Amino acid sequence: MTIAFHPDISTLMAFSAGTLEEPYAVVVATHVAMCEACREQKKRIDTIGGAVLASAGEAAMSPGALDRLLARADDSIELTRETSRSKAAADSRLPAPLASRLAGGLESVRWRWSGPGVSVADLPVSPGVDGRLMLLRVAGGRPVPEHSHGGQELTLILQGAYQDRFGRFGVGDIADHDEDVEHQPIAEAGQDCICLVAVDARLSFRNRVIRALQPFFGL
Amino acid sequence: MYAVTMEEFEGNPDRTAVSIEPIELIRRVAEARDREALTRLFQLFAPRIKSMMLRLGADQAQAEDLTQEALLTVWRKAHLYSPEKGAASTWIFTIARNLRIDLVRRHSSKPWVDLDDVELASDAPLGSDTVEQSQIIARVAKAIEHLPVDQRKVVELSFVQDLAHSEIAERIGIPLGTVKSRLRLAYERLRPLLEDLH
Ligand SMILES: [Zn+2]
Repeated sequence: MTIAFHPDISTLMAFSAGTLEEPYAVVVATHVAMCEACREQKKRIDTIGGAVLASAGEAAMSPGALDRLLARADDSIELTRETSRSKAAADSRLPAPLASRLAGGLESVRWRWSGPGVSVADLPVSPGVDGRLMLLRVAGGRPVPEHSHGGQELTLILQGAYQDRFGRFGVGDIADHDEDVEHQPIAEAGQDCICLVAVDARLSFRNRVIRALQPFFGL
Repeated sequence: MYAVTMEEFEGNPDRTAVSIEPIELIRRVAEARDREALTRLFQLFAPRIKSMMLRLGADQAQAEDLTQEALLTVWRKAHLYSPEKGAASTWIFTIARNLRIDLVRRHSSKPWVDLDDVELASDAPLGSDTVEQSQIIARVAKAIEHLPVDQRKVVELSFVQDLAHSEIAERIGIPLGTVKSRLRLAYERLRPLLEDLH
């Protein structure tokens, strides 16, 4: 897999620092799982984060803290839920961060019609989280309904490809544009283009779909 | 996600006994349930983790509890560590950090599906040829001190204060785009020091 488009370095820095909202973090984690270059990049950034904290100094632990730790350190070995769950449920064609949210794989997605040639499906995020995580499916040759951005938007291609003025986005590529970028991606002819998208919750994606389609269909 | 420099420990005569690389200590914990190795990990990391927790806004008791939990998690999950995930100290700080994020989110009714558990879990065996990257970390820590103040500030607000980029923009009164460009500039300056990281 040749990946040409990566998250902005500042996006990877936020991911490493743990400050990305969940929908964005899932998209970045999925890309990182697919992208060797970004795994290397993330290692460097993690090291920077560690170096920053290394200068945080030391604070003495209270007397007896070590004894309390040793008293609690039994011989049990904890196997994380995630390991077994992602093994049991995961569609092996999907990267782990996504597979754990999409137990039945892409085939099991319940698509909702959202315009001619366009369907969407929301993926679960934790309650109270700002932002929306969704799958977007666009028929070959159709315009991808994103038009102008407001707030951060991350789009990761899972299947098929689209083209816009930045180039061709194929499987594994991620579009991480500043909010004022204007572009009109068109799905490549042939296979449906399926993307994993994180958007700001304050913007209704559906409204934006309609807005993007307005010039064509007068919706 | 974080790593710690061993430089100061090595320079301290009282602590020369703990200059064994953390990766080796984790291996001993994983393979031999070695309590002596756990003790050394405690000596190396507990004061750092506690200090980090205090800087992140925990009170004394919370910082102490979170540090205990972090080291207990290291004890229980040592077999899940793999060097390809990064430096051992990075892994330990990741655990500590996640515990704190969990706590904060529980209290703010903002639960978080634990992404990092997926990352932390690994079937990869403990490698024997990977050495701790502590010198690189020491180098980077020094370079961070010499970053232009405005770049250093956004790096610290992001990694230490845990602020989202939009929150950093609000906090220091600059556009979001400027926060991002300062982070990019800081990274470009530090990156040459990280080329031999593996
Ligand atoms: Zn990448």
